[in-house]
Amino acid sequence: MTLYHFGNCVALLYVPYYLAYKQSGLSEYGAFWKCVQAGMIYMFTQLIKMLILATFFPDNVGEAGGSFIGEVLKYTVDIADLAGLYFVLNGIPGKGHSKVLTAGIGWATAEVILSRALLLWIGARGAEFDWIYIQKCIESNILLIQHIATATLVWLWSRHNLNKNLKLFIAVLLVSFCYKPLLFDFLLYVLHLGVWLGLVVKGVFTLVYGLFALTVYASLADLIGVY
Amino acid sequence: MWINEVDEIFKAYLPYYVLVFLPIFIIVSPTSPVTASYEFPAYRMQHYDLHGTSYGSRAASVNLEARALSTWSSSRHCLVTRLKDLSIDTFRNIKGKVGALVIVLPESYTNLTRDEKQQMLLLENKMLFEEETTIPVYFVKHSKEMNNVVDDLSKSVDINDKRKSAGENLYASVAANGYQITISTGTPSIRSDNKIATIHGHLAGYRSDGKVPTIVLVTHYDSFGVAPDLSYGVDSNGSGVIIMLELIRTLSTLYADTKTRGKFNLVFLLSGGGKFNFQGSKKWLEDQLDATETTLLQEASFVTCLDTLATSGTIFMHVSKPPKEGSPAAVFHKYLKTAAEQYASVSVEGVHKKINLAEDLLAWEHERYSIRRLPAFTLSSIKSHKDPWKSTILDNRENLKYERLITNAKVIVEALGKYILNVTEGDAFNGSLDINKANFDNWLRILSSQPRSAQLLNTKDATLVTQIQSYLSKHLSDVKITYAIPDKRDPDYQFYSITKGTMNIYRVKPAVFDLILTLAIITYLTLVYYTIHYVPALYSVCSNLMKNKKVRSS
Repeated sequence: MTLYHFGNCVALLYVPYYLAYKQSGLSEYGAFWKCVQAGMIYMFTQLIKMLILATFFPDNVGEAGGSFIGEVLKYTVDIADLAGLYFVLNGIPGKGHSKVLTAGIGWATAEVILSRALLLWIGARGAEFDWIYIQKCIESNILLIQHIATATLVWLWSRHNLNKNLKLFIAVLLVSFCYKPLLFDFLLYVLHLGVWLGLVVKGVFTLVYGLFALTVYASLADLIGVY
Repeated sequence: MWINEVDEIFKAYLPYYVLVFLPIFIIVSPTSPVTASYEFPAYRMQHYDLHGTSYGSRAASVNLEARALSTWSSSRHCLVTRLKDLSIDTFRNIKGKVGALVIVLPESYTNLTRDEKQQMLLLENKMLFEEETTIPVYFVKHSKEMNNVVDDLSKSVDINDKRKSAGENLYASVAANGYQITISTGTPSIRSDNKIATIHGHLAGYRSDGKVPTIVLVTHYDSFGVAPDLSYGVDSNGSGVIIMLELIRTLSTLYADTKTRGKFNLVFLLSGGGKFNFQGSKKWLEDQLDATETTLLQEASFVTCLDTLATSGTIFMHVSKPPKEGSPAAVFHKYLKTAAEQYASVSVEGVHKKINLAEDLLAWEHERYSIRRLPAFTLSSIKSHKDPWKSTILDNRENLKYERLITNAKVIVEALGKYILNVTEGDAFNGSLDINKANFDNWLRILSSQPRSAQLLNTKDATLVTQIQSYLSKHLSDVKITYAIPDKRDPDYQFYSITKGTMNIYRVKPAVFDLILTLAIITYLTLVYYTIHYVPALYSVCSNLMKNKKVRSS
């Protein structure tokens, strides 16, 4: 029965990724290896992040309740993710939305495989039942939207024919999104939200973020006529 | 087509990634996957055979679903309950039917009411000495997590409860929080090292005619309770041991000086297995009587046993035969009375109980000696040998009446000291017989900090035995340890392995829950599928929106 639960979790976790890949038409473009490439670059970026973290924050890695500034600095390293995404977008040949989707989905899939598969394999198969696995799976679904949106924004930012003000706004938004986990933890702590409510808040927030990315992309795509 | 791409990847990226791949997998993997299962030390109930009769719980392994008193129904359930919720009748009723029993002990034994304590004592006594229990029985100490589990269990509704509506029952059967209890220990087997150590030493007295009679002082040092690892036995018989060690200290100081040397040989015996029909005393006595050369025992004036001396202010002198007027035991009785008179709270009383030869178990330790026609008595502050206080886990440091112990110790030390030196008037020793508080407290700390069940002390180098031995060697001469070993073919007593284990509690959900969860996930995924279908539509909406804006602005 517990293996069954594991199956449940895996379905919840990976089917949306598969659907996103199939439905977006990436499979028709034969973009599988491009997605894998994006995933490889994800790994490389994570390694660099780890190296930086281990070099500059050797003491409080994995230590709960470190100083606030220390935490902020740690999350600053996540800007490397943006650079990684930028690198992916530059490295993948392709047009407009297929390029953005490839980068986003590849990136998110790599993350989900690396950070969740082991957790589920070890945790969700055990006799012990815990909601946390279901929660983590739903969170990963939210992250998929977020990564696609971020990829879109990074791509938009790299375009030279984007409105200057908008460009600045996007840059600020992207950088501030690196601190999103910190912000949410803080919010959950202050408002005493449960994990489920926290997930809802995250979901809504990410949806708004995604819609914004979509709108800006739509206007630009229209302008340069990609779609 | 994709073969080209594979080729491209291998050419452009693979050299880096081979280096990167493995470390990433190791690093990115979560450092601590959630381990929400609870883990508690669980203390197993006594399990031993004595004179061919089996006592205690016979099984050890548990892997069952946890249920509360109100909801259990079959032998596939492990009953989890608080000690105070369990009555003797319920225990008798369930012990053949339920799969296993886990009893949560109260947080502290001190703030219980008198009735609760009495009930606990009786229950413990009945659990131990009534017929054997076939199911595994464990005791768990109080903790917040354990408390939550018990609360959760008693709240969960019984599926077969007719008073609830069908809907409620359905919901409960799906969403119920279940607990699975696992204690994997293996089958308890008879231990091969059933040794019981008895430590003894002596002080030589002096009389000018050379005929020095002997006084034997006996006390057993082991403790007993419903679970071996929870029996601290600070009063029974830690109090006896402490008084004995204090006697050894004071009397050895007296004997060290030729002027104050006593007129008796003193034999000190710290016997083991006192809770198992006084096996230590039995073995020692057999050794002494079988010995070919003359032993000190042949000149014995009397044998004094100390047993449980901190509960009340009355020191009972238990005898099997009332001592004759003028016999050493009767004289000592008088000394004891005189010593007790100095303290308002202490009185001395004689209790006469004949030895019941029909019964396998002896009531008091002195009966071992009385059977062999040695004049013997037991000093104890409890009146009946059936008092449940002699075998309870409640008997710990918190429940010790410290002042009582000190006073009783003073009375006994003084009475014995005066008897040995044959002094009758007041304080003749200039305080040399006073209790040494530091020594007293030190031993109290040692004795009350570890369970002293015979099962736990039978390893060859049990720390406590070594500690007592080295203390004795400091003060007495000829200190030895003798081991009682049960006969191979017809053993008097047998201990079993496994006195404690680790209890794992897993939160589990009923099988139906997983099915419902699958349905929910399928619904969710369908929703996602259609949402993704609508993304292009959404895209055009956004695109139109922007166009309109631009049209308007231009």
